[in-house]
Amino acid sequence: MMTDPSLMVQSAWLVPVLPLASAALIALFGRRLPWHGAEIGIAAILAAFALSAGIAWETFTTVDPAPYEVAFAWSPLGGGFVLELGMLVDGLTSMMFLLVTIVSSMVQIYSREYMHGERRFTYYYAMLSLFTFSMLFLVISNNTLQAVVGWELVGLCSFLLIGFYWEEKSNQDAANKAFLTTKFGDVGLIVGVIVLSAGMFGLTDTPFNFLQTIDAAVAGELSSSTIVLGMLLIFVGCISKSGQMPLHVWLPDAMAGPTPVSALIHAATMVTAGVFLLARLFPVLAQSATAMAVIAVVGVITMFFGGLLALVQDDIKKILAYSTISQLGYMVAAIGVGGYTASIFHLFTHGFFKALLFLGAGSLIHAVHSNNISAMGGMRRSMPITFWTFTIGSLALAGFPMTAGFFSKDEILIAGDLWALNGLATGSAVYWVGLAAAFVTTFYMARAWFLIFFGEHRGAPHDDAHGHGGHDDHEADAHDAHASHHSEPHESGRLMTVPLMILAVLSLTAGLIGSPFLQEQPNFESWTSTPVIEKTTYPFLAEYADAGVGVSAAEKGPSAKILHGPPTWHADLLLIVLVVFGSAVGLAWRFYGKGLPEKDPMLHMGGFTRVLVNKYGFDDAGYRYVVVPVRDRMSAWATKVSNDVIDGAVAGVGTATMRMARTTYTAVDQRIIDGGVNGAAFSAAWWSARLRRIQSGDVQRYAGALVAGVILLVLAFVAVR
Amino acid sequence: MSLVGPLLLATLLFSIGVYGIIARRNAVLVLISVELMLNAVNINLVAFQNLLFPAEAAASGQLFALFIIGVAAAEVGVGLAIVFNLFRNRATVDVDRVDAMRW
Repeated sequence: MMTDPSLMVQSAWLVPVLPLASAALIALFGRRLPWHGAEIGIAAILAAFALSAGIAWETFTTVDPAPYEVAFAWSPLGGGFVLELGMLVDGLTSMMFLLVTIVSSMVQIYSREYMHGERRFTYYYAMLSLFTFSMLFLVISNNTLQAVVGWELVGLCSFLLIGFYWEEKSNQDAANKAFLTTKFGDVGLIVGVIVLSAGMFGLTDTPFNFLQTIDAAVAGELSSSTIVLGMLLIFVGCISKSGQMPLHVWLPDAMAGPTPVSALIHAATMVTAGVFLLARLFPVLAQSATAMAVIAVVGVITMFFGGLLALVQDDIKKILAYSTISQLGYMVAAIGVGGYTASIFHLFTHGFFKALLFLGAGSLIHAVHSNNISAMGGMRRSMPITFWTFTIGSLALAGFPMTAGFFSKDEILIAGDLWALNGLATGSAVYWVGLAAAFVTTFYMARAWFLIFFGEHRGAPHDDAHGHGGHDDHEADAHDAHASHHSEPHESGRLMTVPLMILAVLSLTAGLIGSPFLQEQPNFESWTSTPVIEKTTYPFLAEYADAGVGVSAAEKGPSAKILHGPPTWHADLLLIVLVVFGSAVGLAWRFYGKGLPEKDPMLHMGGFTRVLVNKYGFDDAGYRYVVVPVRDRMSAWATKVSNDVIDGAVAGVGTATMRMARTTYTAVDQRIIDGGVNGAAFSAAWWSARLRRIQSGDVQRYAGALVAGVILLVLAFVAVR
Repeated sequence: MSLVGPLLLATLLFSIGVYGIIARRNAVLVLISVELMLNAVNINLVAFQNLLFPAEAAASGQLFALFIIGVAAAEVGVGLAIVFNLFRNRATVDVDRVDAMRW
């Protein structure tokens, strides 16, 4: 059924434009305003949120909404090659709109208090708006090239915000690392986009268009090598942007930025971009078993090994960073095992509870002036709101039944299970490793939770707070004056706690729209599905094409359909999840229930701990085999090439041009042109000097000449006759 | 009556006029030479009219001759005015010495 989209959907372009305008306005006028630009950013993002909510409601309630696509065409080369700047609004877009605008508005309201009194406060708000714009621009785009532009803008903004406290070298390094690591993947993304568009070239005038690419891939007009190569190269971009192993290394270091920025990066913008792009191109991906298997394997590895790294961290933000890597692993793995809905559902719920956890962590850091959980303890008494909201976020992250994370994580596990029924081993891997990773997740969150909120307040060792890393030390410095006269940490102000409470409510309830409570359409699946996805089947599962039409998770069976039908209750999975949760929390309570033990068992596991503390050696290997060769050899070589070859070529061209100019000057200009002009002038002078003698002023001579002339004419006349 | 006589007379007068214009130094005599040339033409006109086209009622030869006499009178008026002014300014009527318009 096609209905005309409402004015709201048609004006969806306003959603990215509002943050862009606010970024410009803050940059221009922010300093002069009473809140130094924060009010513009918050007002713009709230307006964008209101519009997103309207669009989301419309796409949610409309049955089978047709994607709404509008584009400006630009044909710079003419002849069958059109670039587009456009928007594509469907369920997926509106879901991302809702997530990004909610998280961004919460972060901006929160930052007003968190960043209060900060140097470059106005700059910070302009960057937040620009960051939000970049992500929305990526989300709204109707073609891969525009998505790449948004993608790069996101990378740029993350660089600027991670390096916000650039006065310290370590923060500059973190920003550079994030930028260069993601840039490495961006190369893959761009090449992948070009590969896909090269396949589309000749089929259409707009080779970058999402919907046309999807249609061509589904219709089998793209060769399988184009699809595999294109999607895997695009996936390289996703590996770097969405923090998959082995390019996740930038993500923990990105904690150098202010904590609300971490919330924005990890929940709404930046890291979700990769998963979003995979979801956007999912019908293309569905054509290739190879590409899906690679993606599933990378996701499975990341969700488990990324989670393990969180076990040994002391820095609360690093724990959450590794947790993000692990959760993104779930999403990517789900994409790899055909869990389209499950993946973006987890993206949706994860956005809320991870933003909640980061903002909660920011609230703790704000109070304790340290990032380290060993410096906290007993916080539940002094910070009740942070305690309860952080608890809700932790439960959602751990997948405790009835929280948002529970429904979405179970969807992923069920998707793995169904994929296994289709006879593909990656499905089982996702199912079992997913459960193992859930255990790890629950354990490290329980560890952090016990150490932060229970036992006695340990407080930050004073030399440590200033000497160590200094992630939010500037913030601490700014508050030293009033922190000094009460040593006990206290609850944050309302601008920080209200966003926490809103996100806590969402972390509890956002899962309901994709839960088995909502069997009837509209539900999350009908919201985010598109007509193409409903029709498309996996070609490599062709033998099951008829077996499971409209299969629901209840009547499990092999199916080649992408959509799994409305979710159903799984008593067995619920039981397993509860056992996993209980055992992980129990274990954590045994270790940490009575406060921080003398010997943290996580830090005394021999070689295992050493491996985790060394982060599997990725950073060392990266330093030794990438940074050092590039810095010491390749850059020297590149300098030489630059100096000798490129500069030589430039200088040669310059010299040649100069010589040619000199020749032209002497030969052509001086001799021929000036000679001609001067010659004309001189000959005129020479002739006039002689001819003027005729002008004697003697009337009788004139008369004589006249008579002579007449005689001559007459003689000539007679002669001619 | 034959044409030869008038034409010879006219030629003689014209040649004298040409000679006078080119050779005389006195501006008044130059003017008189111009008159001689004009009247030579007049003789030609009248002679051709009377001897070759006696029947033409319009008598355009004589008519032209009358015109020329009128124009010559005017010309002499202008010419003498120039000569008077010349004499008044330079105290000479020698055309050789009036060469202010040379290069």
